[in-house]
Amino acid sequence: MNDARDQRKEQRRAIITGICLLLGLWLFSFAASAIWPSALRRCPFGRDAIRPDSTVCELAIGGLWVSLTVGVAAGALSTFIGSALAMASRAVGGALEEGSMRLADAFFALPDVLVLMVLQLAAQILGDVDPRLKIAPAPLMIFSLAAVGWAGPARMIRNRLATLETQDFIAASKALGAGRAHLLLRHLWPALRSYVLAVFIARIPSAILAESTVSFFGIAKVEPMSLGRYLGTSYASLLYPSGARIVLPAWVLLMLVVLGASLASRAAAPERG
Amino acid sequence: MPNVLRRIGRHVAVIPIVAIASYFLIAALPLGAEDESKRQLPPELVASYRRDLGIGEPLGFLRPWQKLVRGERLGTSAQGVTGEELVRKISGSVGVGCLALGLSLVWALGFALLRLQLQRPRPSAISDVIPAIAFGTPVFIPALLLAPYVAEAGHLLPELAAALVISAWPGVFLGTLLIDAIRAELTRDYVRTALGKGLAASAVLRRHVIPNVLPLLLDSIGPVATALLAGSFAAERVFGLPYFGQLYVVAVLQKQVAVVVVATTCFAALLAAVGLTVEAVRILIDPRTRAATE
Repeated sequence: MNDARDQRKEQRRAIITGICLLLGLWLFSFAASAIWPSALRRCPFGRDAIRPDSTVCELAIGGLWVSLTVGVAAGALSTFIGSALAMASRAVGGALEEGSMRLADAFFALPDVLVLMVLQLAAQILGDVDPRLKIAPAPLMIFSLAAVGWAGPARMIRNRLATLETQDFIAASKALGAGRAHLLLRHLWPALRSYVLAVFIARIPSAILAESTVSFFGIAKVEPMSLGRYLGTSYASLLYPSGARIVLPAWVLLMLVVLGASLASRAAAPERG
Repeated sequence: MPNVLRRIGRHVAVIPIVAIASYFLIAALPLGAEDESKRQLPPELVASYRRDLGIGEPLGFLRPWQKLVRGERLGTSAQGVTGEELVRKISGSVGVGCLALGLSLVWALGFALLRLQLQRPRPSAISDVIPAIAFGTPVFIPALLLAPYVAEAGHLLPELAAALVISAWPGVFLGTLLIDAIRAELTRDYVRTALGKGLAASAVLRRHVIPNVLPLLLDSIGPVATALLAGSFAAERVFGLPYFGQLYVVAVLQKQVAVVVVATTCFAALLAAVGLTVEAVRILIDPRTRAATE
């Protein structure tokens, strides 16, 4: 009994630590770059090689909140799309469920970066063909990341739903005459929401890394500058040994984001029968 | 036999899905916008899109492939690609990927041994921080850190350096899976029975545990292959390797849509080939899979 309580306490602590780390990084980055930019003027890593009027700290820390915002928005949207698809396909069942999950598998098999590049290319050509259809880089990146990232959450949440539906309390509720909507809202959703939260948090670092990589290639031009775009635009100076001072702060910030997200995500998805 | 066909079909189905989806995504763009004055694309580029993609023609989606088979160049400029060049570039990337796969298995073994040596009851630095570092590091960061030294060194080193940076995360991922699977197997009754009958621990590991863990490792080869090929985009760009990843990024940057459609389909075909190879190996080494297919 005490073991279970200790375990729950430890899980709660891990979730809080992870979420506090992510929130703290966002607040620190936003406050330092948007509210007190002078705080980052003194930087141990010196000035940026390409933009000598800015310090490395200004650019790296200033890019963090942009990357995090894009990651959180894209993670939330892709988890929402994935959850909706999983619930709808479970409700319909049969060939439609099988077909939608096969499509999710096919999508999931391809790397995020590849699909993201194709979507960015299509959207950019659309904007070139008709300027009225041009989408701003940040929303375009969020929608592209959501369009890329729905497959994983859809597959995972559908499998979780299928497992939950085999549980005794669901059978009992069905025997008492519960309808699909009642089952979903009263019984399945409460058991599912911590899992959905875990899936959402786990999507954040994936989205940030995919955005960083595509921005690094110069394919996406997110404004204000994200971490990946900052590194991508500093590409020429990075190819010299002194370039490490430009890479290191951005790298450490990315790792802290991933550490916070993985801590929170793992703790938010406890193993339950 | 129907099981085998179903498994093959599941892998191969990705190729037409990706081919058709990528083609129609590009072909659906309003390239024939009526208002020419507002259009920011040069007319010759739009004409080349239509020509390369066979837009408006029956079976137009076969046009890029037809051009490749005939030995014609896809794309609008010298940055386009012929069928022969495409095969050469894919072979280069597959070579780097194979080298990276070998290296990631070495990383996996090293990481698993490290975790075995340093096991603690609470989440340790090894089990939490190393995977976070590996996962939180986009491939281009170690590539950039290594690039200055590679640029000064010999000829073959860029391929090795690319394989090295690509293999880090898949190695840690495989190592984590390996150690968790071995630990789970070691708690099973058959291991206790074998040890109780006097079999040495190393023999139990070799004869009983490893054969049960291998199928699980095979399951993870698919995601690992995806990660290796995706990582090659950044590594090839940083190290200046003229292979498939570089071709893809340049094609997207220069809006060579026909090259992007063909290369995306080739990428899906590569992943399907990896999936089929894994299935074949699984049937060879796992008696349970063999029994299920009979």
